[in-house]
Order: sequence, then structure tokens, then C-alpha cells
Amino acid sequence: MTDNLQYVGGSYPVHDVAQKVTGELVYGSDFSVPGMLHAKLILSAIPHGIVKRIDASRAEALPGVVKVFTCFNSPMDRFCRARIHPGQDLSPHDETLFSEHVRFVGDRVAAVVATTMATAQAAAALVEVDYEELPPLLTVDDALASDDILVHSTGNVAYEHEVDKGERPDLEGAVIVSSATSTPRVHHAALEPHVCIAQGHSTGGMTVWTTSQGVYAARTVIAELLHMEYHRVRVIKVPMGGSFGGKTEYIIEPVVAFLARETHRAVKLLLDREECMIATMARPATRTSIRTACTPDGELLDFEAATTLDAGAYASSTPDYSIHMCKKVTKVYRVPHYQHRSRAVLTNTPVGGAARGWGAPEMAAATEIHMDRVAAALRLDPVELRLKNMVEPFDTDLVTGLPLGDARVRECLERGAVAFDWAARRARPAGRGRFRRGVGVAAGAHKNGMFGAFPEASNMSLKMNEDGTFELNASLHEVGCGIVTTMKVIVAEVLGVHPDRIAAGEADTATTPFDYGTYGSRVTYVVGACARATAEKVKQRLLAAAADLLKESVTHLYVRDGAVRLRHDDERAIAYRDIARLGEMRHVPSIAASVSYFAVSNPASYSVQFAEVEVDCATGLTAVTDFLAVADVGRAINRGMVEAQYQGAVQMGIGYALYEHLDVDERGRSGIDGFKNYHIVNAPDMPDVQVLLVEHEGDDGPFGAKSVGEIATVPTGPAIVNAVNNALGTELSDLPLVPERIIAALHEPEEVPACSSC
Amino acid sequence: MQLLLTVNGMAHEVEAHPTARLLDVLRDQLGLTGTKEGCAEGECGACTVIVDGRAVNSCVMLAVQARGKKIVTVEGLADDGELDLLQRKFVEYGAVQCGYCTPGMLMSAKALLLANPVPSEQDIRIALAGNLCRCTGYTAIVAAVKAASGQDATPAIVLPGEADELAVEASTDPETLAVVDEVVEAATAELAERGAQAPDDLSSAGPEGGE
Repeated sequence: MTDNLQYVGGSYPVHDVAQKVTGELVYGSDFSVPGMLHAKLILSAIPHGIVKRIDASRAEALPGVVKVFTCFNSPMDRFCRARIHPGQDLSPHDETLFSEHVRFVGDRVAAVVATTMATAQAAAALVEVDYEELPPLLTVDDALASDDILVHSTGNVAYEHEVDKGERPDLEGAVIVSSATSTPRVHHAALEPHVCIAQGHSTGGMTVWTTSQGVYAARTVIAELLHMEYHRVRVIKVPMGGSFGGKTEYIIEPVVAFLARETHRAVKLLLDREECMIATMARPATRTSIRTACTPDGELLDFEAATTLDAGAYASSTPDYSIHMCKKVTKVYRVPHYQHRSRAVLTNTPVGGAARGWGAPEMAAATEIHMDRVAAALRLDPVELRLKNMVEPFDTDLVTGLPLGDARVRECLERGAVAFDWAARRARPAGRGRFRRGVGVAAGAHKNGMFGAFPEASNMSLKMNEDGTFELNASLHEVGCGIVTTMKVIVAEVLGVHPDRIAAGEADTATTPFDYGTYGSRVTYVVGACARATAEKVKQRLLAAAADLLKESVTHLYVRDGAVRLRHDDERAIAYRDIARLGEMRHVPSIAASVSYFAVSNPASYSVQFAEVEVDCATGLTAVTDFLAVADVGRAINRGMVEAQYQGAVQMGIGYALYEHLDVDERGRSGIDGFKNYHIVNAPDMPDVQVLLVEHEGDDGPFGAKSVGEIATVPTGPAIVNAVNNALGTELSDLPLVPERIIAALHEPEEVPACSSC
Repeated sequence: MQLLLTVNGMAHEVEAHPTARLLDVLRDQLGLTGTKEGCAEGECGACTVIVDGRAVNSCVMLAVQARGKKIVTVEGLADDGELDLLQRKFVEYGAVQCGYCTPGMLMSAKALLLANPVPSEQDIRIALAGNLCRCTGYTAIVAAVKAASGQDATPAIVLPGEADELAVEASTDPETLAVVDEVVEAATAELAERGAQAPDDLSSAGPEGGE
């Protein structure tokens, strides 16, 4: 089937590229409705306390101010921002629209609604809030040590998870290596800030326009919180300027929906950069200790890990995040015994939650930095050590019990080592002068949807138009990585028409069928498989119609270039538009199909990445001078976009390794309030990123395709950290490797903390 | 206060507050929402426009500072619906993902090419240093700018050709077409006849009914 692909594997721009280069596309932040009001949030100025009084009189006296909503005049029903569907109940409902008990600097206390944005901002500055301060718990250690001060009354440990799989073999004579790695809280930094618009209708219904990754779950959160029937809440996905997980959870949507219902108007809430950084959600900070035992020649015998994750002030998705951190190592390595305890700990700091990779970049950092320590202890080359332990295709994941599918991580490493000229580069001396060079490697794995943990399915329908073009009706959520194009290419391949002959739009709860949304690395693998199945069904209808007309068996027919053709007679063809004419006359049944597709597997996607760095020992600055990302993608549906996704993912990973962090000071405030003090890697600092794709067809995704967007950034951070350690002879393991840490390490080699420190 | 601005070749008289940012006048008063806001402090470059030939961050420029000047926004790049070469190269080279940085990138790159028609790769990277992108890693963007300046560039995306070139206009062979025409004509006639006899029986005309 895939020997002769016509469209799959080509390169295509994102579906709305023409509107993006002309400035025509209306993003959420550009969106407006006549008569629309504007909201501005008032955020807690203290990390922990009780709001005693809010004086909004001066604000409400300002012309143009409609109302100030506060924790004292708004419902205190609780909601959970991290939902998938109504039946799912992993995270607590621990959040309210506005907080009386404020739990971090940035917690929502009130919102001003006014006729203009400027008025809302001016009024917000006039709202006076008095607090009774409580002692804040600003670190995981403080939170774990505290019995009397609680972030939430249920306790400071939001979730605890432990896996213990396999049998620990005899460890006599084994080499024991320990490490402790920390990863920072980071900002997703989608270029478009969070935005939502909601309109309360006089019918009692509501329309919500959101730049989120899942409209159905947004509806669940809104409808349940506001006690509305689902059919009265219409949620529409609008174009968004990036997400990276930061818009997966429903943070401002419930607030805006509430404001719209109360004012019976359209209300827009557009956050500014500082609000996005502190008041939405960040990639959670983590600490992981690992202790391994292996044979003297490098075969892993035992892997024990302990992780604490800083959930911030609300649990959000961190319970699931902490579960998933235990599911990463055994996708990459074979080990007889794997034990991992992870905890999500609440603190009075900005909320941690969904972020690209969902625990995989965090765990890859800990694991891959550790593996280099093991290699050093055994005097083995890091590539050699990894090859001794990596899984083989069709192994079973020890932790999940699920088959790993056609797992090509070993092939990624082997081919990458050759392409990067690893052995020669690793053998090159780092130098002893001011500038020292090093190379590093790291591997990582991620999943393909939620099969195995959750009912994983998608639904869509596809119809042929009267002129032989097609329309796909699916709940697609484009985040910028080209998923609409991906679906069109898959349908195009099946139907033998150019992707431009297929229309596909985005999600709208009123008109497009149920789908969870764009997250969980599920879109290409699951939604794409649904697209293929739907197109196959439509193709059968086209073939049946043509067979009837041509008086031929369906087995003698095939589709290509917009027509059903006869295998044994090149001359005969019936164009789709002529089949459509038959349909118009009702001579053939409607050329359309609806399909519910249920996922049947959840293989691993892999990436192995190689970095070369040059460290300036005088300034502590690290430059990434060369980079190779090898990707087990199964099959590239849109080759150019797969490569471009990887290039962007590496950029994000470089920031994770070297620059980005959102720390809070001793008063619970983030010293970082914008891009002026939060460094995103810019064009001059980006190395040339080579991408090498490993393609095959052994899994259930469309044409063999597997997930790309999340796995792409998983091993980048540790590849760079390992390269720095190679350059300097250090054992750095606290990300990011900012210059201060590099300089400190050059003057005072770090001690390796014991495993129990976590 | 009243300001005269020339935006994308057209003169506009606007009433603006003395503290109004150029960005707000462009977006809110002139409806040119192609220019984006990402940080409000001149760091991300999403709001870049060209003022008298130079790329500026319109979020840190007062509208009054643009008085009497010639401003070009992303909406002014295409000429009568025909994309500028730079825009075409952004499309062909896959330089666009979420696209939120794209307008600013295009304007910084345009200003560069106006001043330096054949920039080196380093020139391009430095010209774009103030334009942040979180999706692409800049590879495809730099390649697109290079290509727009007539230089060889390694494309991240190689478009398989013009869309209409590939979208082969399928045609039905004459023999089959005659059968189709015959069936359609017969069906039309039959429907007309049935319509005359029993107008509400149309739904059962197809072999499987109207599914």
C-alpha cells in the first residue's frame, strides 16, 4: 500500500499559510464581536493569605466600568482546569473563579469588566485588596516538611505514585551509580498570549471562542461550573499563535464564560505577557534521583528513581504528569527491575501543568544525564553503553505492559552516531583554553495517544461535493504544527486527489464531531488513523458507484488523480465530478461516510539527539555549535513540517538546557516578568539543526506514521548538558546551565547527592 | 490629537491620544490586525512594522512619533493580491507554523532586504535577532529570506510544485462519459415524470435511498 505514495511524504505548508503571511488570519487576540466588553484580572500580590476586603468603589466609579467581580460577589463552586471528558477524575476540583484563600502571587482575586481595554486596565489599578498573610511554602522541601501550613486542606502532596515492576536480580559485583537531576519551571512562551472571548446570549446559551487545544473539554469545564446544559454552550476553536501545552488546560475560559453570562454581553480577556508567565501555567519544576546497578560491562540490572514535582498552587494535570514520569525509562531501556516513586507537591508558587512532552523531557534529562555517569564509571562510550541496553522493536514496555511497537530507537542511535561522526568527535580533546568543545548524546521516548490508560478514539465524517471536491468534518485543533494539512494529506492519499481538493476546518462543539483535541501526541496516530479509515470508506463508495456504472468488479478499479480508473484499461476513467453528477440525480448513494475509530495500540515514538557545544570558560556562556536530531517517526506524512517541528523543538530544548527558568524569590514573586528577562533562543544563537528521519511501517498509525511534536523536544536538554559535561569534565545536572552554574562548576566540582535526598 | 499617517501607501487622519502606541492605532483604529502584540516591551518583534524604511517595534513607538511618516505593515506587502517575493518564499520554505511571529519576521526581513539586497546568512540572523519564534528554530525562516534575496538556500520544505500543476484535472473518457450522460439523462427524465405523478416519492429514487 505504501510503496507508491503520491502525497504522503511530500512537503506542504500549514493550511492557512496564505492568511498568515498576509496578516489576514484573525487570531483569538484579533477577534472581536460588536459591543464586546473587555476584562482585566486582578491577581494576588502575595503568595499565601486570605483576602479580607476588596474595595472596588473607585474602580466602579470610573466611566465605562460595567462591574468588578470578586471572590466576594461570585460563586465559589470549584472546578478542575485539567479535564479530558466528564468521566475522568484524576485531578482534584481545587480551583474557584476567584480566590478568597490566595495561594500564589498571580492567583485570581477579581476581574474588572469595562467597555474598553484601557478602561479595564485603569480600573483594575484602582481596586484595593487587603490580605491577611499566611506563611508561604515556596519550595517543595518546605511544603513536604510542613504539617500545619497547607496549600490546600487536603495536604501538600497532591498525588503520589509508585511503580515496581520486574524482579531485582542478584546485584553482587554490580556497579552502582547514583545521580540527582533537577529541571526548571519554564514558561511555554507561545508568542500569542492567552485569550478567550465569550458571549452570553439572550436565549440562555453561550458562545465561547477560544485558542485552546480541546473544545469539548472546555465545554465540560464551563458547562459544569456554570450549571448549564451542554447544548447551550458552544465552544469554537479560533486560530492561535502557539501553545506547546500551555493552552491545553482551561484556565481563563471558565472565567470569561462566567463574566459573559453575568453581563449578558460578549467579554474578551486577553492576558499580557507577565500574566501569561505567572498566572496561567508553566512546565513544572522537577527533581529526580536515580540509582542504577549494572554489570561491569554495562548491562543494566536495576533502575530505581524518585521524583518530586513542584505542582505549584493548584494540582492541575500534575497527578497525571507524575504518573507519566514513571513511564518513560522502560520505553527506551531494557531493565530487569524498575522502581519509581513520584510525587506532585503543592507549593505557593505559579501553577505547573501540561507542557510539550508531558514529563518526558524532565525524565529524559534525569535518565540521560545519569546514563553518562554510568558510562563514565564503567569507562564506556556513551553510545556503546546505550546500545547495550536499548529496547528492540516489538519489545513490551515493562511498566505499562503495552507493546512498544516497531521501536527503532536503536536504529536512531546507530545511524545518528555515523551521521554525526560521533566516535571521532568524542575522541577529540576538549581543549584546555578558554573555549572548550564537547559532544553529547541523549535518547528519549514518548507515546502515541492515550490507549492503554484511557478510551482513545476519534470521530469524523467526509463527504464529496457536487463538483468532486471533498469536505472533512472533524474537531481539529491547529496549534501551528500543521495538523489540518496532515489530515488533508492522509485523505488525499487514500482518495487519489490533491490535498488542495479537500477542505477541512477546525473544531466547533456545535458542528464538528467529538474528539479530545490536540494533545497527548494523539493527533497523527489516532485522529490521522480515523481520517484514513473515513477516507477508505468514502473510497469504497466511489468504487462501488464506478463499478456499477462501468459494469466492472470493484477489484478491477483503483483511484488516482481525481478519478476511478480501470486497472486493465488505461483509457477508462470516471472523474469524481462525474460520479458526483450521478449522485445529484440520486442514481448512487451519497458519497459520504462517518467513522468512529478506536485506537488499538500505543507504540513509542523515539528521538536520539547529538549536540556539539563550545563553552566559554571565562563567561560561562555555552554555544550550541552543531546539532543532529534523529527521529523514529514511523512515516513522515508532511516531511518538511516534520523537519521544521524538530528544528523548533531543538530550539525549545536548548532554552531548557541553557537559559530558561521561572523561579520565585523569598517573597514568592517571580523576578521575571517578560521576555526582557526571560531568554528565548533567537536566530543568531541557533545552530544548524540537521534532522534524520527513520521511516518504516510497523504500527497502526496512518501509513505507519507516529507522533512528532512532543517527542522532538524530549532528549534535547540532556544531549546539551552531556556535551557541556564532556567539554568541561564536570558532572552538571541542574538545568538550566546558566553561566553562573558553569563558572561555579569550573571552580568547585559538584558533589553527587545521595539518592535518598529526593 | 490629530495625526496624519501614511500607511501602506494610503494617507490616514487619525485622532489619537498622545500616549497611544503606534501598534494600537494600527490595530484598533485602522483595523490592521496583521501586526501582532507578543510582549509589549519591544522584545519579541511580533509588532514590527517598517517606518520610513526601517524596521521598528510598534509597541514601543508612540503613534505621534510616526506623524507624517510612511508606514508599511504586513498588509502592505502584497501588491493587489499578488504576494511579495518574501511572502512567497515564506510559504515555499515552510517558514510559517503558528504564524504569530510571521508578520514581524516578514517586516524585519523586508527592511533588511531594502537596505541590503544580498545579505549573508549572518546578516539575516542578526536582522532577525529581535524577532522571536517559538515554533521553527528559525531554519526555514532564514532559508526563506536567503531565497528571497536570490541566493541558494536549503529549503526546509520543498513544495512538490504549484498546487494547480499537481491537481490533475481528471477527465472521464468519452465512452464512460457517454454512459454517465445517458444515466443522468434517463434519471432526469424519470424524475421529471415521477415528479409529475408523485412529487413526494423522490426520496426512494436511489438504489439505497438517500443515505
